[in-house]
Amino acid sequence: MIHDDLDRILSEEEILPSSGFAAAVMDAVRREAAAPPPIPFPWKRALPGLAIAALALLWALVSLARLVGEAATARIPVAQSPVLAPIWQASTLQTVISAKAGWVTLALVLTLASVIFSVRLASGRT
Amino acid sequence: MSASEDQADVEKVLTGDIAAFEGIVRRWQGPLVNLAYRFCGDRGRSEEMAQEAFLRAYRALSQWRRDAAFSTWLFALATNLYRSELRRIPGRMTALDDIAEPKDPRAFTSELEAADRDHAVRRAVFALPAKYREALVLFYFHEMDVTAAAQSLGLPQGTVKARLSRGREILRSKLPQILGTPRLKEKEAR
Repeated sequence: MIHDDLDRILSEEEILPSSGFAAAVMDAVRREAAAPPPIPFPWKRALPGLAIAALALLWALVSLARLVGEAATARIPVAQSPVLAPIWQASTLQTVISAKAGWVTLALVLTLASVIFSVRLASGRT
Repeated sequence: MSASEDQADVEKVLTGDIAAFEGIVRRWQGPLVNLAYRFCGDRGRSEEMAQEAFLRAYRALSQWRRDAAFSTWLFALATNLYRSELRRIPGRMTALDDIAEPKDPRAFTSELEAADRDHAVRRAVFALPAKYREALVLFYFHEMDVTAAAQSLGLPQGTVKARLSRGREILRSKLPQILGTPRLKEKEAR
């Protein structure tokens, strides 16, 4: 390949900014400087809601873990439960629980992801 | 272009003297508009992109660490912006296969024909896949300085060299008569 040719052709390409370019940029900069600062994320207002959401998430996770643990280790109490006994008797309890646990976990993970994404979006870090 | 002038203007802007930013704009408007033009090939759009780059630089001025030259920081910021702008709204692209090469390269005798050839090469560069095009654009913009091109792209030098090589290879394969073999005049000169 003749590098010289390519070098010459691609090095020569030069244009000059139009005469009003610098003034247009400075106008835009002044507008930017005059504009009010972006509204910060209202942490004080959002904090109680976020705390409640975090507690609810924690409670849900603990409940889920407890439910799965009970189903796996203590079959008798689960089988005696008036709600769960019929299902247990149908010998599908473990399948149902594991299937539901998967969905619940997925829902929790999605919720957590959406909370993180919202916070990142609000703080302009995306 | 003086690095100390840049630094002084940045300090002034950071202390609230917005007018000092004009010095930065006047010193760097040519390079930034030219860089944008090399990316998009459209004069009007290149000025819009350069203006946006200056605005971003103004907003992020406090993030410039003095360990790198102001120009290095500015070009990296502008390059990032131009790349993402072109991903968002691609420029006038021609498929590489659609770029017609003149049938007889020996016909490049007049200035007009040479200009046609240069135009064909530039169009071929625009039609390259983005990663090769960007490497070539930055390399020639920085007067064939791989280090500067790598800094602007935020890539290791080895990667930039590999992309340059591959980009040239593609150009050579697409425009073999222009770039693949020496022209008669050159052969005769040797």
